[in-house]
Amino acid sequence: MRNFLLSIALLISAVAAAQVPSVTVENSKGEAVNTKTLLAEGTPMIVSFWSTSCKPCIRELDAIYDALPDWLDEVKFRVVAVSTDDSRLLAKAKSFAEGRGWGEDYTLLFDKNQDFMRAMNVSVVPHVFVIDGKGKVVYSHTSYVPGNELELFEAIKKCAK
Amino acid sequence: MKRLLIIVAFVATAVSAVAQDKGYLTGSFESNDHIYVQDEKNRFIPDDDRFGTNNYLKLDYYNGNFSAGMQMEGYYPALIGYPHELKKFAVSNMYVNWKDEDFQITAGTFYDQFGSGLLFRSWEDRLLGLNNTIMGARFAYNWDDKVSFKALWGMPRLGMEFSDTQVRGADLSVSLSNIIGLDDVVLSVEGSVLNKFEKLGIDAQEAGGSPNSVGYSGRVNFDWNGLFVKGEYVDLGKKLVALQQKRGNAQLVELGYNGRGLGVTLTGRRLEWMGQTITSRSQSAANLISYVPAMSTQYTYMLTTLHPYNPQVGDESSYTFNSGEMGGQLDAFYNFRRGTKLGGKRGMKVHANFSTYYTLAQEGSYTPGNLLFRDFSFDVEKQWTKEFKMVLLYSMQEYNPTYGNFKTTWLSNIVVADLLYKWTPTFSTRLELQYLTTKEDKKDWMAALLEVNFAPHWSIWGSDMYNHGSTKMHYYNIGVSYTKGRTRLAAGYGRYKDGFICSGGVCRQIPQYTGANFSITTSF
Repeated sequence: MRNFLLSIALLISAVAAAQVPSVTVENSKGEAVNTKTLLAEGTPMIVSFWSTSCKPCIRELDAIYDALPDWLDEVKFRVVAVSTDDSRLLAKAKSFAEGRGWGEDYTLLFDKNQDFMRAMNVSVVPHVFVIDGKGKVVYSHTSYVPGNELELFEAIKKCAK
Repeated sequence: MKRLLIIVAFVATAVSAVAQDKGYLTGSFESNDHIYVQDEKNRFIPDDDRFGTNNYLKLDYYNGNFSAGMQMEGYYPALIGYPHELKKFAVSNMYVNWKDEDFQITAGTFYDQFGSGLLFRSWEDRLLGLNNTIMGARFAYNWDDKVSFKALWGMPRLGMEFSDTQVRGADLSVSLSNIIGLDDVVLSVEGSVLNKFEKLGIDAQEAGGSPNSVGYSGRVNFDWNGLFVKGEYVDLGKKLVALQQKRGNAQLVELGYNGRGLGVTLTGRRLEWMGQTITSRSQSAANLISYVPAMSTQYTYMLTTLHPYNPQVGDESSYTFNSGEMGGQLDAFYNFRRGTKLGGKRGMKVHANFSTYYTLAQEGSYTPGNLLFRDFSFDVEKQWTKEFKMVLLYSMQEYNPTYGNFKTTWLSNIVVADLLYKWTPTFSTRLELQYLTTKEDKKDWMAALLEVNFAPHWSIWGSDMYNHGSTKMHYYNIGVSYTKGRTRLAAGYGRYKDGFICSGGVCRQIPQYTGANFSITTSF
């Protein structure tokens, strides 16, 4: 077991910071979107994995939504909300996001077989990433309690500097 | 363990061989552990080892278009209620993958799904103990955003091993709107075919069962300015159910409108003999090769989840010999904007759902046309002040305790208040108050939960669900969690009710138990 852990530690130390992998997901209209296209604009972004049955996820995205006008006064960035709902709840997730006004301010993606979630090594939602303009993961956080969004804002400010 | 080291060495070699600019490694680890305690009131006597632990380690290496990875799982032994075939250690996933803008080729294990998954879906759900990843090969090609095609072959995993069942499938999606060059309209037609080869027993062969079955599906997607229609038809081909030939088929329609703060979705679905397993030799809840979920609201509040809907997919291995079901649901979400009369200063969100399902009026059903499940729910969410947020939910659930066998249904009315108060920017409390009233089953229930959160790291909670109508039993639970970055540790103790754990509309039965639980999830 010790050798095994050592091999993993060696592997981790030998490689660079995580990035956004190339995975195909859906947009609100059901069209295929490659996650690499998120990087085209070169602006930092918050990527938040959520699902309709995850209450803390919804609270986190709502908190970001409420704070967004003030945050955008200070830093230029975008928010990508990735629904991990299965096809059972896919249509509902789209209606849900629209019914909360997220569609206007967020880039909405739908990862119905959790390919993007797996590729980013997200085991449970909510899980949020801050990605810099070059596509590197500079911050990530799992679970949400009110107030966690303050840490998120600090991370996005740091990465925009 | 030796085998594991060889595999790690293999991955390490592959990494160093391909790593021209190093690439990067990411991974995750999850461990869920229970210690069981004898509880006479709950009629729970644990096994001798009094312990259960489910563990998952996943590693992925990325370098440009290349990626490789693996997942290991260990159950020493599995947590109570998990499928019995989960035991000891296995490398569950191992793959190499190449993906550029147009091509993708994968060797080893992979997950995929055709359409909504009614014909074929390979996925992982750790809550269900399900990981039916396919060991084989997959090829995918996209021609711009006009045509996409994929083909796959392999053996699905059941429990700790890959089965000897083989699946071969292909899926084609053609975007007519992109070919014609329409800007505002999305119109695509899609089709899939799936061949399953399964070795059959002598009984099944004599009854005329064939080891090969071929299913197909046809789909259409349309979207115009937020107005959408989706249709799917699935034919599973002939299958043997209780030594009789049946033709599995399903129809699914989704239509609605999303825009201007309004989201409405109407779903209709009919299932007939749609149960599709990896092998007929296993009764495991994880023995699935397609995804036929319950199309109803997935609740999260304690009392709303006492009787989750479990669809009648049409299978002899269901609770009764039932040919299928038919029904639908309507969901409506609306956001009263800030500054409007009802929205007030901070807006108000409302949601309503109605879903209803019946047994099929077909040969093979016990009693055709019986109500299986009906639910009407309404919830309103209002941020009153900067500090105080309130959610109120009402749900009227009617379900058939005999899974459609008899006409009798049980009705319950449930109300929930969920109150969140932020005392400071990082200190908050959340209180849930719930009540369920019914004349049937175990009569009335009440429940409460209090959660105290100290951002950014700590959360503690306590809850109690009490059946005061009949059994006078308390199901209590206390817990604490600590989160730092992408690592979360949680510990709790409680008495848990038997019932169904449902995730993504798929359910597995769990027994009652009492004990302590620990969990760690981390990623890197």
